[in-house]
Order: sequence, then C-alpha cells, then structure tokens
Amino acid sequence: MSLKLEDILKEKGVPISFQYGGTAPDEIVGREVKKDPHPRVKKLKNLFLQTLSSASCEFPYWYTRKFQETEGDLVIMRRAEALKSAFLHITPTIYPGELLVGGKTYHYRGSFPMPWMSESYYMAKEDELFQAALKSGSASAGEVSTFGTGGGNVTQSVGKVTSIAGKFGMRAEEVPALVKLAREWVGKSVDDLGHKYEQMVPEYQMKEQIMRSVICMFDSGYTLPQGREVINYYYPLQYGFDSLIEMCNECKDAVAGRAHGDGITGMDRLYFYEAAKTILEGVSGWIENYAKEAARLQQVAKTEVERKEYGDLVDILYHIAHKQPRTFREALQLTTFIHLAVINEDAISGMSPGRVGQILWPWFEQDMEAGRITEDEVVELLECHRVKFSLIDCFACAGVVGGVLAGNTFNNLALGGVTRDGKSAANRLEMLILEAGIRCDSTQPTLSVLYDDKLPEEFLLKAIECDKMGAGYPAWMNNRGGIEFMMKNYAKEGMDLTNARAFSIGGCLETSPGIWKELVLNDRKYWIPGGAGQPTSVGVHFIANPKVLELVLTNGFDHRTGEQVYPPHNKKLDTYEELWETFQEYYAMTCDCLTTTNNIQHDIWRKHNMAIFNSLLKPDCLDKGQHIGNMGYRFNATYNIESCGTINMVNSLAAMKKLVYDDKKYTFDEMKEALLNNFGFKTAAEVGSFSLGTQEKKDGIDKYDDIHSDCLRAPKYGNDDPYADEILRAYEEWFCEMCGDYESLYAKPLYPCQISVSTHGAQGAVTLASPDGRLAGTTYADGSMSAYPGTDRNGPYALFESATCWDHSQSQNSQMNMKIHPNAVIGVEGSKKLLDLTRAYMRKGGYHIQYNIVDSKMLIDAQKSPENYRELLVRVAGFTQYWCEIGKPIQDEVIARTEYEGV
Amino acid sequence: MSRMNLSMPIGAERQQAKGIVFDVQAYSVHDGPGCRTLFFLSGCPLKCTWCANPEGWKVRQRLMYAEQKCKYEAFNCERCIERCPRNAIHINNQNKVVINRDICSGCNTYECAEACRDEAIRVSGKEFTLDDFIHIVSRDRQFWSGNGGVTFTGGEPMVQKDFLLAALKYCKEAYIHTAIETCGCVPSETFRTIIPYIDFMFMDLKNMDNEKHIEETGMSNKQVLDNITIAAGPEFKGRLIIRKPVIPGFNHNMKDMIKTADFMASLNLKEINLLPFHRMGDSKWTQLGVVYPFTELESMDPTELIPYISVFEERGIHCYIGSNTPF
Repeated sequence: MSLKLEDILKEKGVPISFQYGGTAPDEIVGREVKKDPHPRVKKLKNLFLQTLSSASCEFPYWYTRKFQETEGDLVIMRRAEALKSAFLHITPTIYPGELLVGGKTYHYRGSFPMPWMSESYYMAKEDELFQAALKSGSASAGEVSTFGTGGGNVTQSVGKVTSIAGKFGMRAEEVPALVKLAREWVGKSVDDLGHKYEQMVPEYQMKEQIMRSVICMFDSGYTLPQGREVINYYYPLQYGFDSLIEMCNECKDAVAGRAHGDGITGMDRLYFYEAAKTILEGVSGWIENYAKEAARLQQVAKTEVERKEYGDLVDILYHIAHKQPRTFREALQLTTFIHLAVINEDAISGMSPGRVGQILWPWFEQDMEAGRITEDEVVELLECHRVKFSLIDCFACAGVVGGVLAGNTFNNLALGGVTRDGKSAANRLEMLILEAGIRCDSTQPTLSVLYDDKLPEEFLLKAIECDKMGAGYPAWMNNRGGIEFMMKNYAKEGMDLTNARAFSIGGCLETSPGIWKELVLNDRKYWIPGGAGQPTSVGVHFIANPKVLELVLTNGFDHRTGEQVYPPHNKKLDTYEELWETFQEYYAMTCDCLTTTNNIQHDIWRKHNMAIFNSLLKPDCLDKGQHIGNMGYRFNATYNIESCGTINMVNSLAAMKKLVYDDKKYTFDEMKEALLNNFGFKTAAEVGSFSLGTQEKKDGIDKYDDIHSDCLRAPKYGNDDPYADEILRAYEEWFCEMCGDYESLYAKPLYPCQISVSTHGAQGAVTLASPDGRLAGTTYADGSMSAYPGTDRNGPYALFESATCWDHSQSQNSQMNMKIHPNAVIGVEGSKKLLDLTRAYMRKGGYHIQYNIVDSKMLIDAQKSPENYRELLVRVAGFTQYWCEIGKPIQDEVIARTEYEGV
Repeated sequence: MSRMNLSMPIGAERQQAKGIVFDVQAYSVHDGPGCRTLFFLSGCPLKCTWCANPEGWKVRQRLMYAEQKCKYEAFNCERCIERCPRNAIHINNQNKVVINRDICSGCNTYECAEACRDEAIRVSGKEFTLDDFIHIVSRDRQFWSGNGGVTFTGGEPMVQKDFLLAALKYCKEAYIHTAIETCGCVPSETFRTIIPYIDFMFMDLKNMDNEKHIEETGMSNKQVLDNITIAAGPEFKGRLIIRKPVIPGFNHNMKDMIKTADFMASLNLKEINLLPFHRMGDSKWTQLGVVYPFTELESMDPTELIPYISVFEERGIHCYIGSNTPF
C-alpha cells in the first residue's frame, strides 16, 4: 500500500486537517432546518427524483422541417416560422396534481438537441463526422469532463434507451431520426459555419492548441450562446400576447420601408416585428394547446376535485394565452411559460428569472387584499414553481454540461436589493419564496440575496434559516458592489444610479444589468425590475490560470498533449518580474486568439440563430425594432473573460517567488523537474481521486520530498499574509484592467468574470503539479476567492482579510465558498452569528459568499453509499446540485474544503 | 502597516508588554456574545486532571512531541538528536524517541523543533507583543459584527496579569467588548485590578468540597470562592456566569450541585453553565510527555446533566448545558 499524501501531511503537521477551530464529533451531524413541502408538491418532487433526464426529437423535427420549407426567405423569418411550428407541435402534457403546468418537451424532465447549433455530437460514434469532431480542440474538454453517475443522469445506454451527450436518455428508435436530423445541418450549423470562418483568423492554430490543452474550457458561440442573464417578463405581464401581437402590427406599419436615418439596419425593423409577431403567435398557441389538454383531462377526470382543478386550469391557461394575468397564480404560470419558451428558443444555461418577488408583487398584493389567496396557497404555488424549474435540463455537449455546469441550469432568483428610489426592496412575497425554498429543497431556482445594509433583520435571518437547511442557497451578493460594477461597466450605454439598482444575478453569479418598467394592474402603478442586457457570460470561457503558468515554466510546451501551445519565450526567467511578465504575455495571447475566434462564432450566431422571443422581451428591442444581434438591447457591453484556478496560481507564484527567487533555496530547474515528476507521486487518474489529500506516492522516490514539503509550506493565500496577498492584489489589478484591451463583436470592451462553476475539476485534471504543492490532475480551489482546501489555517477572518485586498467592484464578480459544520451555526445564536459573518464579509467589500452547511463525514458516506443520499444537495460554485449528479472530481473537492467548526 | 497605525490609540505610548499566547482562534461562537476572537494565554495555577489545554499550564513555550509524526522508525531520521546541544533526546531500549523533559525545561532555543521536517516536534506558544495583539484584533473586529469582541482564555489568563491588563486597556480605549474565562484562582488583588476592564466573565467553580478540589486541581478552592464573592459584589459591573466542568468521580453528584446552588443563591448569582466532560485534551497530554488520567473514561452525554437543572432553577438560577448559554 503506497503512502497517501494525507497521511504524509498528517505526519508533517502541515495542512489537510481540513478543519479549523476545533474538532467535529465522530457521528455524522444532520442539518438543523428540515421541512416538508405540501403533500401535492411532495408527490411531484418525488416523481422528479425518480425521473431520468430524457431527450426527444419532436421540437428539432418540426423546427428543421419548417426551416427547410421556408428556404429562400430571410433567415430571421425562417427561424421565426420554424420556432412557431415547433412550439405549436409540442405535445402538451400535464402531470397529475400539477398546479403549474408546462415543460420543455412532453417528458417530465429533459430537453432536446438543437442540431442547428452544433450537430457533430449527435452523429453515430462510428460516423466519420463524429470522429472528425473529436480531433478538433473543442472536443477536448468533453474528454476530461465527468458527470455524476447517479440521480437523473443517463450516462450509459440501457436496454432500449441510448445515452446521448453524456447525460440524456433517448428512445433507441428515435436515435436514427436524430442522426438524420443532424445530417441536415452539416455545414449549416452555427458550429460548422463559425468553424469555417474562424479558421481565417491568423491566430486560429494557436486557439486550437489552447483548446486541446484545455487552457480554455469551451467555445462560446455555438455551445451556450445565451444565458447567464436575467430574463424580462414585463411585456407579456403588462400587455398579454394579443396586445403584443397588435403592437407588432402597428410597429410594422410605422417602419415599413422607412430607414429613419439608419442606412444599415433601419429597414431590418420591419422583419424583426414580423418575426416577433410570428413567434408570439407560436408561444400563445402553445399555451392554448395546454388549455386544450386541460379541457380534455377535465372531460375524463374521475372525481369532482379533479374536474374542478382542471376546470380552473382551462380558465387560467386560455386567459394567459391572450391577456394580462389577473391573479398571482396566473402571473406565476405566465412567467413559467415565458421562461420555458426562451430556453426552448436557444441552447441556454443560466436564464435567470431575476427578482421574482418584486416582479410578481402587484398580483400578490392585490390578491391578498382581495382575499383571493392565502399565504399557504402562495407557498404551495412557489413550491410547484421550484419543482417546475428543477425539471429544466440544458442540452449541450458533455464537456459543457458535465464539465462546466455539472448538469445544472442556473436559474437564479434574486431577493432583496433596493428599490428604484433606494429603499429596501425586500417584501413579504420574498419571505414566502424563502419559505418555499426551505420546504421544497431542490436545485432550481437557486436563490441569491442582494445584500444591502438597508435590508431588514427579519428578512436576513429568514435567508440564514434557509441557508441552514443545507442546500447551499441563498448565496449572498453585495448589492453596493453590484451597483458600482453596473455604473463602471455600463455608464457609456446610459446606465444611471436608478437603473443600476435594478441589477440582478444571471446564471450562478453573473452580475447582470436591468432596468425598471412601470407596470399597471387595475389602475395601480408599480415599478418592476427586469433584465435589459445581453448574456453576461459569453466570450472567453474559463482560462485555466495555473495551466498558463505551467506553460510559462515549460517554455510554452504542454507535456500532457505533447504540443507546443505557445511560441517558446526562450527566457531564462531569472527574476520573479520576468516570470510574471511572461505569464502576462502568454495570458494576453490566449485572450486575443479566443476573443477573435469567439467573435466570429457569435457573429454567425447572431446572423443565423438570433434570439427573437428573448429579444422582444427585453428592453429596448421592441422600441428600437432591433433584435439582440443588431444591438436592440439597452446594454451590450456584456462579453467577458472568465478565469479559473486563481488561487492555485497565486499560491504557485508565491512559492516560486519565495523558494526560487527570494530565498534561492531551489533553482528554477530543480523546481521544474520536481513539477514534471509530480513530486514523486502517481497521477490523480491512476489513484482515482482528485483531491490532494488522497494522492499516493510512487514507491521508492523520495528525492522530491524536501521541495514538496517546502512548496506546501510556502506562503499561501487566505492567511492574511501580505506575501501571498500582494501577489493576488497585483494580479487582480492587472487582470481587471487588461480584459478591457479586448473588443467584442459588438465593439465593446470585455470585463473580468471570476467564477469557476465546475471547470476547476476538468481544468485541474489537465494541469501538472504546481509550485504551490498541488499534485498533477487534482482539482483546483473552487471559485476565485475560496482558499485552497486546508491551506487557510488562521480562520475565516484572516481569509476575509486576504480576499478583500483588492476592489471587487472592478470585476463582474468574485466567488467565496465556505463549508461550515452544522454544529457551528446551531440554534438562534448560530443563525445570528452566521449572519454576522456574512455581513462582515459584505461590509468589507467581498462580492459573494455562500455556504455548505454540512458535515464532511456525511459527504464521504454519500460518496460510498449514494443510494442513501438521492436527495442530498450541496453547493458547488455558484449553484446547488444533487450530490449524486456531480462528477467525482468536484465531489472530492467539496469534501476537501476546509470545514469551519466555530469552536 | 498603515492599518496598524490607524488602530493605535492617539497619543498613546507604545507599550512594551509581552506575553505568551499558545493559540488564537477566530470566529469563535460559543465563548461570549456575538462572534469573537479567542486568545489562549499560557500559565495556570491549577493542574486539573481533565484539562483540555495542558500545554497552557506554564508561562513559557512548551515542546510537544507527536510520535505518530516521527520519522525515526520510518527511515531512522535522527535530526533532532543530532541537533540538540544539550543531549536531551535519545533512543530508549524499546527503540522509541524519548525527550528528557528535565533537561528540556531549561531550553529556549528549540534546535530540535527547527530540525524536525515533519513537525513531530513543535513548540507550542509564541511570544506576543501588544502590537501583535492589536494587529489581530484590529483586523478581526471588522468581521465580528454587532456585539462580538475578544475573549481571553487559557491557561488562566490572569496569570500573565501585566500583558492581560495592557491588552484589556487597549480594548477599552478601542471600544472593544471583552470577555474572560477564568478559574478564579488568583490573588484577589490581581483579580480586583483586572475585572474593571471585563464586560463578560465565565468563572469556574469546580468543586465546593475543598479537599476534593485540592485533590484534582492541586489548589484550594478558598481563593476561588473569595473571588466569586468579589465578582458578585459592586466592583464588577459586567455579566457573570459560573461555569462547572462536570467530571465523573469528582463533581458529578447532587451534593456538589446543591452546595454550589446554595452558594450562588447566597450571593444572588443568577446563571450557571454546566459543561459535560469531554476527551479533547487526550492527545495533548501525550504530546507533552504526560499520562492522561482519564484513559478509560468516555466523553459524557450532555443529557446526563439534565437532572441538575432543577437544583438551580429552584433557587432562581438559570442553568445552561454545554454550548447552550444564551448571550
């Protein structure tokens, strides 16, 4: 039996106790807060837990068929007609007991492929097109990404069910149809067309090498071109579909044939309004189909109660298919349909409903005043809403859905923040949303509190109670920090303080611009917030910072792939400054080639696959008569550069500086040799574990023991140690600034986005040992501000001090995950103290913090016996996921996170 | 550095007070109101057999040796033996590394700990200047929120009375809430000097029976009772909670609880916190080269203490078990 690093370290007394502030009891401690949903919802939730993710060909079939029938027409009209036809052909399915109806497909849980985005994944494995796709750099992330094998994931074919895209089951007889549909799009999909033109970029070859080395996690333009944004439900909520269709007709009359001073896109407005009208008819008809299905069910219902329930549904669905909703339930049902329609229009993850409690407030308030509904009924509806959203699956390739998203779809619902006139925006409905989140714990929608000192204490404590339930939500975002970022990033496009207050969280924690719209309900006026910007996480997707540093040390050569990724710098790297400058140079090359190639992909997307429905929802497309691709949205400077592994990079630079340059204890070559030999350890893949502590040593090699020990003991981020923190500060100030050097296809500067989602698993897997002592193939520290597991040895306050050594409002976000033992926050006192901790970090300028309140021993047990933990939810990095549905590299990382016992 | 300059009282002369601190813990949630930072000061007049922090008994650094970390058996590492100038470490006839504590106690250079790559030998306790203290406190106070603050514990924090007083005075000037966990076994004169700067006090009352007290702690309880009486009087303005670690075979009986309750009632004291016995000190005793007296005893189930609650409540005293003290 080889020695494990955990034992070795235990002997050294270095890190890896993974606990701070005391010792947890031996027995597994459960979570303190635990409630049940309403009986009806419990059944629906159980059904969800038993259902596997399923894919169907219905939508893609009708889409493709109509698209072909309209050949020769304008692309925007072909797309509108194709979408309309697909919506009208979805088989409406209502499951027993549902108060809220609607789904992406007729399956209870699942999605469908969109071969017009990218078709190569759906080719039969033996197909030459599939094989060709494997060779391109973009498939590399898929190879190193893993799904959890439990829960609703179908990772292997069983019987007559074929596993596709690493997650979905499809009826075997539908697979040939999918392959045939996919073939129809060869050479025409956004992927294929984008690929054709991106090859014309001079840096294309380097980009491919970067993708193959997984320095970048995935292409942006054809995988998930939208999402990580905040939806806007305003127009249908205010006007209803019939009026919107009428408005489109009026607008057409006003613009047809008139350029109105815009010689390039002025004429496009006619086509946009016509397309908008077409798709509105499609979505309205789709909702009406559900009404018809409800009417059919009413006919065959066996009991009076069922007949009444279906009768209510018929009334509600017919009404909202055409008119402004009258009640809270109608408004909630309409927003659910709008949401599903948007995510059926395009491949999307992270379409966030935004500040739902404030958007639906008018109906809640008036229903409560009129005595039309009770709070208990509202909670039940909100629980149904949670199940409905948890059923959403996102269909993309394995590398994206598994390696990045861990199967999550990031529909983030934000609470709190401030109103248009700067007062606390928390309301009673938000208390009920939290209550529903406690009673019906599930992955979606995940909750975020926009923390502001103005928020009332009882609201904040309710949010803490929800955190203590253990599902990892709500996350806490800094409202002031978000507003500052809005002003910094969008002032040039007219952002002012009032609308900055309307921001919300798109995806897991992408700060997204919004505006206020005046909503009138029964002659009463309200201001409601909603999204008004493009997707806020598109562009350069996840650069593996430690991997870039690795290639600096190896003169641009990737030892894993055997490729020269970057041109050799041929520098001696005699000084720390030279090392740091070379890192910056390689990083700049990376950003440059990824930006240019992604810009082309997105340009193909906007010309061939533009959002029409999502566009018409968001200000100011309907006003301008322009879709997203023609910059119809109010805010377009939304492209970003995402980083991953920041802390391992910082710690590695600190170790290099200390051991090689300042103390000169080891030469550069000695360090490099130790890294290339993984400090004498086996690889993570050989060991089958991805956390540092369980790595195994190779027998008989101890020549790297001293250097490894010194690397582990070198200064680490998270300890209020200026030696390491200064490196972080310098990095952040450089990084936040340099993103602006790159220009999106919309001619706007890029900005930094610092979250890891699940990429710290896959990108850790491709990275050799790093100078911070991390071993080859092991997962990076999550997020951007979490300490590397076990290295924060001076408690949370020292960690916070390190984390806030730079100005977070310069970045779209930062991310801090903390794991706390349930005993540390037990009781009312525990709740108050957890709030104290949260508030302290926010006041200090931290942008985001979230908690896993769970006993690590429970997670270890769950890894051994997943069958006992089907419902166990954990927080990964900006999202909550079922334990059994996440891949092992990320499971290992969550277990390893330092656990705060709070003595 | 600018941060520390900001936190120094204006016009104050930089004080030279120094102390020995053997641990600092942030975000402590069970040792006083709000979130707190705990300072463990070395030195204690008592030698309680159940002590969880025996490394804090003496006002000096302590050498701790963790055998399971030692590489002597694995690859004959003898770096500590080679480096020790006093020849205090040797291998005994059972092939074990043995530290001669009699020789060691006179050492303050700790070559052996420096030589040990594996932290099998380490030094517990660190010299702390008032500046070091201020640095940590002024950082952490940003994060306590609300009613948090500093808690001094140990050891017995009043043993290092000069350092404690300097730290307390700083806290008061800087508007920081102060708490202390004391065994009460210090001269009344010292006690009287310290308590004006304390906002919240946990005072141990281990046993009302003096003989028992001497037997298990090494000291009489007379000083403790005197100081509790002082604290109950007008000199102490803060909140006082009596604490009793409940140890089987020592004070885990109704008789001691009744006597304690009567004593408290006579002083009009209103709160007591009973702590069930736990084995947390176990490994530390071994590392100090001392035999842990409770090798057989299991940690106590807190529910065993429930019968005592009524003894106190009948006398108008609130009784809290374990970490349930409301702050």
